[in-house]
Amino acid sequence: MDCERIAELLPDYWQGTLKVPDTQFVATHLKTCVACRELASLGESIAQLPEDTPSPALRERFQAMLDVYEAGRDETARFKHRGFQFPTWASWTGIRSGWAFGAAVLLIFVGFMAGRFLNGGETAHSQEQLAAMQSEVTNMRQLVVLSMLQQDSASQRLQGVTWSTQQRQADPKILVALLHTLRYDSSVDVRLAALDALSRYSNQQEVRQGLTDALEAKQSPLVQVELIDLLVQWHDHGAIDSLRKIEQNQDVDPTVRDRARRAIDQLS
Amino acid sequence: MTRPVPDEELMTLVRGGAGDMLGVLFDRYQIPLFSFYSKLTGNRATSEDLVQEVFVRILKYRRSYRPGTAFRPWIYKIARNAHLDQMRKRRDEAEFRPAIEPLAPHNDSASADQQEALLRRALLELPEEKREVLLLSRFQGLPYTEIAELTGCHVGAVKVRVHRALQELREIFLRLSNGGAAERRIAGANHGL
Repeated sequence: MDCERIAELLPDYWQGTLKVPDTQFVATHLKTCVACRELASLGESIAQLPEDTPSPALRERFQAMLDVYEAGRDETARFKHRGFQFPTWASWTGIRSGWAFGAAVLLIFVGFMAGRFLNGGETAHSQEQLAAMQSEVTNMRQLVVLSMLQQDSASQRLQGVTWSTQQRQADPKILVALLHTLRYDSSVDVRLAALDALSRYSNQQEVRQGLTDALEAKQSPLVQVELIDLLVQWHDHGAIDSLRKIEQNQDVDPTVRDRARRAIDQLS
Repeated sequence: MTRPVPDEELMTLVRGGAGDMLGVLFDRYQIPLFSFYSKLTGNRATSEDLVQEVFVRILKYRRSYRPGTAFRPWIYKIARNAHLDQMRKRRDEAEFRPAIEPLAPHNDSASADQQEALLRRALLELPEEKREVLLLSRFQGLPYTEIAELTGCHVGAVKVRVHRALQELREIFLRLSNGGAAERRIAGANHGL
């Protein structure tokens, strides 16, 4: 009977919300009843389990996500400033078919701008208008790509990577997003596609550094092999230290270590 | 000494668009959330993914936070939903097997580390919802009112769940402890942790 009452009182006893007589009742009962004492001890031991600490990479991943968000927000603010109200890219990510939505918006926008330009006739500012339109389209494309890279579905993120390659010039915000995808995307296919998209920017120091950073022990062996090949193709002598670490790390796949060894020979 | 800015004020700023303030909240909550998830899933990589997902969702749904309301129940609600969604997804994919650490060898003069490993293992063998309620109440120290709000049931029902979960945990713990030395082990777990 007393044990049943303990079952009712124990949860509040732990949180210190019992009245004094009930607290005394629990304390007295626990001294005499082995079964209830075991139960209470087990509850106490859960409360005393140590905290687990995440790896420092988690903070880096969070920061990269925040950077991409801030980049998208800056662009949105620019549109709002011009009196054009547009939802933030982060809110687009809530839309399941986000990439389709983004593509549709882009097409409508291009049509709208082209119509405005053509209907405006030959004006003295036509060249200026054309340049402005191209700039708007570039910004819009950037928003769409950033949005698509945040989608839940791997195939949609792949679409985002493909879209990113349609930019003629390297866009720093998209490069940051692609480098983030290369390191942290849950799908190896998407990571490989991001690497392929980044392979066009051998002249960008930020990309070279990003690729070297992505060559870490926890990366997928498939991606590692592709990364190593690309670094060799670029004659990136700065990557030798990272390659050496990979080559010496016993936890890394033997094929990757072998490839790293050969890459060091080629770059040295 | 200056008082730390309350979570609620920081979240109100994030809601208004100050994304960088989320970094402060991340630093405050990454360890409690990671600890909760690691004990819930038994898997470090999954737990890190889930913590990241919580903060992605905070940004995504930042406007659903009502200024002036408590932040902790709100973030734990997001955390719980993120985990439930992930479980659902993995169940659909039918490929997820929680990575459970191998049980430490039986040893009568067991160290605190072994007792801890045994307790973690026993927790992982509990059914999902029982593990969750025990961790929220005993490990995270959330009041029953908050857990009731999170799980959508009455406070009384939460207390009953806690007690039943604990009874089941004891059975698993005793089984894993190999019967005879059970009582000593429970006492050891309590003193040693």
